[in-house]
Amino acid sequence: MTRSARRAAVVGGNRIPFARAHGAYAQATNLDMLTATLDGLAARFGLAGERIGEVAGGAVLKHARDRDLTRETVLGSRLSPSTPAYDVQQACGTGLQTMVAVANKIALGQLESGIAAGVDTASDAPVALNDDLRRVLMRLNGARSLPDRLRALAGIRPGQLVPEVPRNAEPRTGLSMGEHAALTALEWSVTREAQDELAAASHRNLAAAYDRGFFDDLVTPYLGLTRDENLRPDTSAEKLARLKPVFGRGEGATMTAGNSTPLTDGASAVLLGSDEWAAERRLPVLAHVVDAETAAVDFVHAGEGLLTAPVHAVPRLLQRNGLTLADFDFYEIHEAFASTVLATLAAWEDPAFAKERLGLDAPLGPIDRSRLNVVGSSLATGHPFAATGGRIVATLAKLLHERGSGRGLVSICAAGGQGVVAILEAA
Amino acid sequence: MSLVPLYLRAAVGAVGPRASTLPDTRLEREVDVDRGHLADYARTCGFAVGDVLPPTYPHVLAFGLHVQLMAGRDFPLALPGLVHVANTITAHRPVDAGERLHVAVHAERFVGHAKGAQVDLVAEVHVGGERVWDGRSTYLARGARAPEPAPAPRVAPAEVPGGPAAAVWRVAGDTGRRYAAVSGDVNPIHLHPLTARAFGFPRAIAHGMWTAARALAALQGRLPDAVAFDVAFGRPLLLPSTVELRTRAVDGGWALDVRSRTGTHLTATVG
Repeated sequence: MTRSARRAAVVGGNRIPFARAHGAYAQATNLDMLTATLDGLAARFGLAGERIGEVAGGAVLKHARDRDLTRETVLGSRLSPSTPAYDVQQACGTGLQTMVAVANKIALGQLESGIAAGVDTASDAPVALNDDLRRVLMRLNGARSLPDRLRALAGIRPGQLVPEVPRNAEPRTGLSMGEHAALTALEWSVTREAQDELAAASHRNLAAAYDRGFFDDLVTPYLGLTRDENLRPDTSAEKLARLKPVFGRGEGATMTAGNSTPLTDGASAVLLGSDEWAAERRLPVLAHVVDAETAAVDFVHAGEGLLTAPVHAVPRLLQRNGLTLADFDFYEIHEAFASTVLATLAAWEDPAFAKERLGLDAPLGPIDRSRLNVVGSSLATGHPFAATGGRIVATLAKLLHERGSGRGLVSICAAGGQGVVAILEAA
Repeated sequence: MSLVPLYLRAAVGAVGPRASTLPDTRLEREVDVDRGHLADYARTCGFAVGDVLPPTYPHVLAFGLHVQLMAGRDFPLALPGLVHVANTITAHRPVDAGERLHVAVHAERFVGHAKGAQVDLVAEVHVGGERVWDGRSTYLARGARAPEPAPAPRVAPAEVPGGPAAAVWRVAGDTGRRYAAVSGDVNPIHLHPLTARAFGFPRAIAHGMWTAARALAALQGRLPDAVAFDVAFGRPLLLPSTVELRTRAVDGGWALDVRSRTGTHLTATVG
């Protein structure tokens, strides 16, 4: 394919430390966290009062009052109020999809600069009116006469006073994300030991990265937190092996609270721009966005795993760019669950799956595991859904910049059977 | 710290002999900010929940000392009936919630006023010896007399010229109770229509410092790191009310006012 468009530059990123649900950010809203994150980004790159091309952001768990959350955040932030903004929502793919949207506009010359952001809170999640009660109230609102109003009010039942709390379940299957992932883990015979080892490595790598100051220019403290609240530097595969499984049933149950991501609060933002824009402001260019691909699978009726869409997205992305899976120096595979990462890798190595499901002559093959999530990932940081994409992009861009050359792959699975993947190259 | 006992003591002590000059008292306290309290304050006034203290927040940290000082027998004016007429705040730099604050309060400038006598309660906040915040709250005692004559009247911030409002606020009936809970200012005129009526108001009235904080919060993201906030309070804001905020950029800062059909509730400059 032709590649005449310029490549968007990743200038840098900022996030707040991620907090466990009902932890340090229990009182903060999505608006609060995203404001702190954008203000931190503005402080780091001298953007106060600047008109940025656009801010694309989003949240997965969103209150009805948070219409155009990102624009509202910009209006209360240090950025110029003449910075346009809009919301994106694609479950856990939100944060990476915002980057794709902004990077594409920069590549096309429609923007010179942009910010990709995401935020989520499980502590301040929306609780909705019982749906039956809501219908009664809407009918009441539309009633013109007193008898109509009384008739509408007569529809109220005591049971309707129980509010609806959002559940971490797929609307069409009724299964939670963890239960879906457990099915995939079973299908690919992912062992408990392998999952616990991956989880321990995530904590170990994240702790080491904090210790060497890797996150000093990626993270701004917030509400007293300076590191991710979920990080357990001293955990080990042996300690994790003692936890009881929480997803799946019986002998085959391998997924625990230790090798699954906890509910988390947090926000992240990535600053993108053209090379010229960055140069004019003497800002660094850490990496360039090469390409991205989004896939979706029929997890409802076709027996596909809920979180396996990246398995399909990556081969399409590689083919379009004339690359193989071995051509990367870093692999950032979002750890929704340790089993998700391991099942994804197993699927890419499986000849039958390659042939029958991916339509390829040969499997993508194994990856060098020493290049996987080298500074930790979601199992250690936690996973505020829409904020994970920004965390990973900024992290990978910095890794590539440190290395001075090379290429990195980002892979993020999302609820609804979707997955967003992208390639970055060192600048 | 509940200020209710102090208010009661002041109410009981309102009648009887008083000192005729200001005491030299200087009250001090060390404060580690309670982040839960800070979040409640931010939410009540419309600030984002974050690490930098809203410029109006140290006022509530000092307010208990204000009351303690004014409730004393050696204070020349009776606390019940004092009206907050003006307030200036200077935040010399952003103050982080993680910093230990030393708050000191004293009274000065006990002088005449066209309608009685006024006094300033001055608060200073230091962090490790560095002065980071100053507050000056001017209270009026109607009909009272001061040892010194009225000075040249202070130039109050002007109203923003007409034109459409920047924002319309529907101020809820429980605003006084909510702000009382986070500020400790449990003056009965703010709490309930009945207690307000006892002091001559037709309904409960909003705290001036709530209105000031709410107006400042509307400029979140548009203020410099060091802030000077000069407020003159006007007509009481009866609860509930619908009021209008007007803002206008003026040489590096802002002029603003809050008004409704009943008049102008505050005028301010910030920069």
